[in-house]
Amino acid sequence: MKRFDPDKPWDLTTLPTTAGPDGSVPHAPVVKKADGQDQCFLGAGEVPAAPKLQEAVATIKNWFRANSLNVLAFGTGCGAIELRPLMTSRFDMSRFGITGAPTPRMSNVFIISGYLSTKTLKRVIRSYEQMPNPKWVVALGSCTINGGMYWDSYNTIKVLDLYMPVDVYISGCMPRPEALIAGFQYLMTEIKAGDANGWHHYLENLDWYRENQKQVIKDWDLPDYSW
Amino acid sequence: MFEINEKSNPADPTPSDHGQDILARLQARFGTLESHRQKQDLLRIEVDRDRLLPVLSWLKGDTPFVQLTHLTAVDWIEEDRFELIYLVTAPTLNLTLMIATYIDRQTATAESVFNLWLQAETYEQEINEMFGIDFPGSPRQGVPFILEGWDDMPPMRRDFDTVEYCERTHPERPGREHTDPRTYVGKKFGEKGYLS
Repeated sequence: MKRFDPDKPWDLTTLPTTAGPDGSVPHAPVVKKADGQDQCFLGAGEVPAAPKLQEAVATIKNWFRANSLNVLAFGTGCGAIELRPLMTSRFDMSRFGITGAPTPRMSNVFIISGYLSTKTLKRVIRSYEQMPNPKWVVALGSCTINGGMYWDSYNTIKVLDLYMPVDVYISGCMPRPEALIAGFQYLMTEIKAGDANGWHHYLENLDWYRENQKQVIKDWDLPDYSW
Repeated sequence: MFEINEKSNPADPTPSDHGQDILARLQARFGTLESHRQKQDLLRIEVDRDRLLPVLSWLKGDTPFVQLTHLTAVDWIEEDRFELIYLVTAPTLNLTLMIATYIDRQTATAESVFNLWLQAETYEQEINEMFGIDFPGSPRQGVPFILEGWDDMPPMRRDFDTVEYCERTHPERPGREHTDPRTYVGKKFGEKGYLS
């Protein structure tokens, strides 16, 4: 395995490539255990810590991560209307340590709230890649799962996990804020268990995602990766 | 100045018939025009293409109808023509004129009203993108507005096959079932309980 070169952070070939692009099951988000997920941040001469220590540190880190979720303020579809009661006093998501964040650089949860047009998809990809790792995607509503009522729309994508990794799907049209809270609790359980590794899967299979993205975004003008 | 340029009384729910008034003046000036009263505050007037720009510029310059509220198109594919609809509103009269004109579907070219209303630029850009109607002289013609990198025929034309394009471009998740609501409900609740 090539080591991560801090002088060339854009060189994705130096990231761990334990699994190749799994084109066999392209429609199911593949989530793997977090074995050595922080190794891509090792410096040139650094040696990974002992496995037991790594595991203990990862457990503590994941506990912290699960309890400080910062949701990016990006409403893509009609589901964004359900985020307002979630933020405010009736459902009050800050009970769970969830809060809002204004920019991608300051957030680690991306809620795809509903239908996603191809024009928005380009901005979503750009924002998602700018978010610091680790990051998670919560997809809301039936439009992100199988197209929903936009199944015959010429400008709306139907399967979200072809274009970006999805950690939690919340079904419904629209899901109520209670469903969102349940989804967040599920996400927190996954993070604590070290299972919510969609961001890692995205880096490992970037070529496969890029290929899918370029099929619907005809005027592709994004950089290789939006660091 | 035009006589009907008066302040309408907002307390009076039944204003005097400004619609018939403006129609009579339009016909006195531009000849016979077909008209239809859609609603109390909406009057449809059909204008042929040669008289469109004179009518609109007269409306904007000499009457209270100063505001272009909307500009859109309809694809009458059976008659091989497009219909362009200009909604021109008189805010003081609480009355809107729906100026409709027909253009040929094959050439698909129309006169721009950008010189009359600057906001027509955006409407004409959108119609150009969605219907493929060209407005020579209007800025931003051919500049993508909603569709980026579109490589097919304009999607609002009625001969554009949306489902076929969608199946070709956007993959579907395997296992999605398309259920006819009538069959499903009939099976679930019994044929007698449904629409009987």
